[in-house]
Amino acid sequence: MTLDLIEAQIAAWSGITAPNDAAKRMALELAGTIAAFEALRGTLEFEDEPASFTAALQAAKA
Amino acid sequence: MTDLASLSLVDAADAVAKRDVTARALLDACFARLDAAEDRVNATIWVDREGAYRSAEAADKAVANGAKLGKLHGLPLVHKDMYYQAGRPCTCGSKIRKDFVPTTTATVLERMAAEGAYAYGGLNMAEFAQNPTGHNAHYGDCHNPWNLPYITGGSSSGSGAAVAARFTYAALGSDTGGSIRLPASACGVTGLKPTQTRVSRAGVMPLSFSHDNVGPLTRTVRDCARVMGVIAGHDPLDPTSATEPVPDYEALLSGDVRGLRIGVPSTYFLEGADAPIVAAIDAALAVLAARGAVIVPMTLPLMDAVSAYGSIVSRVEGATIHAQWMRDHPQDYSVHLSARLFGGNAIPGTYYVEALSRRGPILQAFAKEVFAKVDVLASPAIKTVLPTLAATDIDHGPAGTEKTFMAVSANTRPFNYLGLPTISVPCGFDPNGCPIGLQIAGRPFAEAKVMMVADAFQRDTDWHAREPTL
Repeated sequence: MTLDLIEAQIAAWSGITAPNDAAKRMALELAGTIAAFEALRGTLEFEDEPASFTAALQAAKA
Repeated sequence: MTDLASLSLVDAADAVAKRDVTARALLDACFARLDAAEDRVNATIWVDREGAYRSAEAADKAVANGAKLGKLHGLPLVHKDMYYQAGRPCTCGSKIRKDFVPTTTATVLERMAAEGAYAYGGLNMAEFAQNPTGHNAHYGDCHNPWNLPYITGGSSSGSGAAVAARFTYAALGSDTGGSIRLPASACGVTGLKPTQTRVSRAGVMPLSFSHDNVGPLTRTVRDCARVMGVIAGHDPLDPTSATEPVPDYEALLSGDVRGLRIGVPSTYFLEGADAPIVAAIDAALAVLAARGAVIVPMTLPLMDAVSAYGSIVSRVEGATIHAQWMRDHPQDYSVHLSARLFGGNAIPGTYYVEALSRRGPILQAFAKEVFAKVDVLASPAIKTVLPTLAATDIDHGPAGTEKTFMAVSANTRPFNYLGLPTISVPCGFDPNGCPIGLQIAGRPFAEAKVMMVADAFQRDTDWHAREPTL
């Protein structure tokens, strides 16, 4: 992802512009987060959904 | 004679109940410490002295009248300034909410008040609880009572500093990526992040719906157990809070760790750790081994997924909560906070839902593999020697400062995505005289076991009893 693309997406979707240079630097580091996420592609299962976390807390207790 | 401000929370409460001391004397002692050192520590944002003395006098009157006393009767406490108290300020450490006065009171504060405690102000914190260091551009940085140029850890910076400096007996913090455990570690106090859903968040400023936790910072594990016994449990005002029964945490502090298996991850948590930190953790584990615990070196599964998904969830939820203010007045945020919030808006919704959807299965798989082998996990809360405020100041430092800044919370963040109960207790000092924290994590709702191990450690050590010289 390029900084231009990130800034354009955020402006278009959220109406927010980069508030400072640090925001631009940290937005570029988003590429690392996205890459780590994309490395996990294929692990999501058809039945997975967010509410399963509460059940997992119960299932994993002693 | 012991300075009353140096008493543990349990000893102070018991002394009031036995009429050995008055609530007013406890408050005088805490304010004496505050007056002597607050100009250097900067742990508070506001203090209501008149209200505090009214509360102390009411507490003493109740004792004199023979009223039934609660477990925290007459204790002057003070909390991170993001717990709503009806009719009192609640800045959330921000310029945006500098004039905010809530009309409701947080459930946890109601519960503490029902046991006789009162709050005398609001503590310094990272702006909107969003940094791991204790910087605050609006109310001034909080300083480490052990070595003032060093960070307190954040975001509950004032909570860690105030408990360490003996301004109070306990303080609530909040923990979304380590914000209770980091200041506990850096300031040499005890801090517990409970299981996700264990403690009500009603009336508490949100940061990340999925990762936010309320918990105590105290001087001893026993103090922590007493506070947890008061604040834990289901709350109808927080539908996400668990209905799981609350055990008698204090009664379960047996000190008996014989045969208990303590897993020590050889990967992730010790990667890049500084030598003084590793040495302190090794020494702490030796103390527990001498009590009969079994140390089990191990590798942990799924850490890449935990880190990646956890980061996605926190970033998106933080950006969502702050989107309107970021549109309307971004200039009112500090540089480092607006910088952190900005990027979260570029993460696709599908990524966020996937990260949340994988959370339950990942927790189950992690727990199945790890807790079949061990009872608890041990690691450093902060794996590097504590940095200075200057070295982590994104607002005024050079480009790249954010890397040092983010490294502070590397070891605490994973347990927020996993939702596991995790405590930090002091276990030594680094070469700069700043405290080091031993982090212990357990299964969901295993707060009693986590605290039992930490309490066993404190029975054989005195790191938690040491006081900074101010």
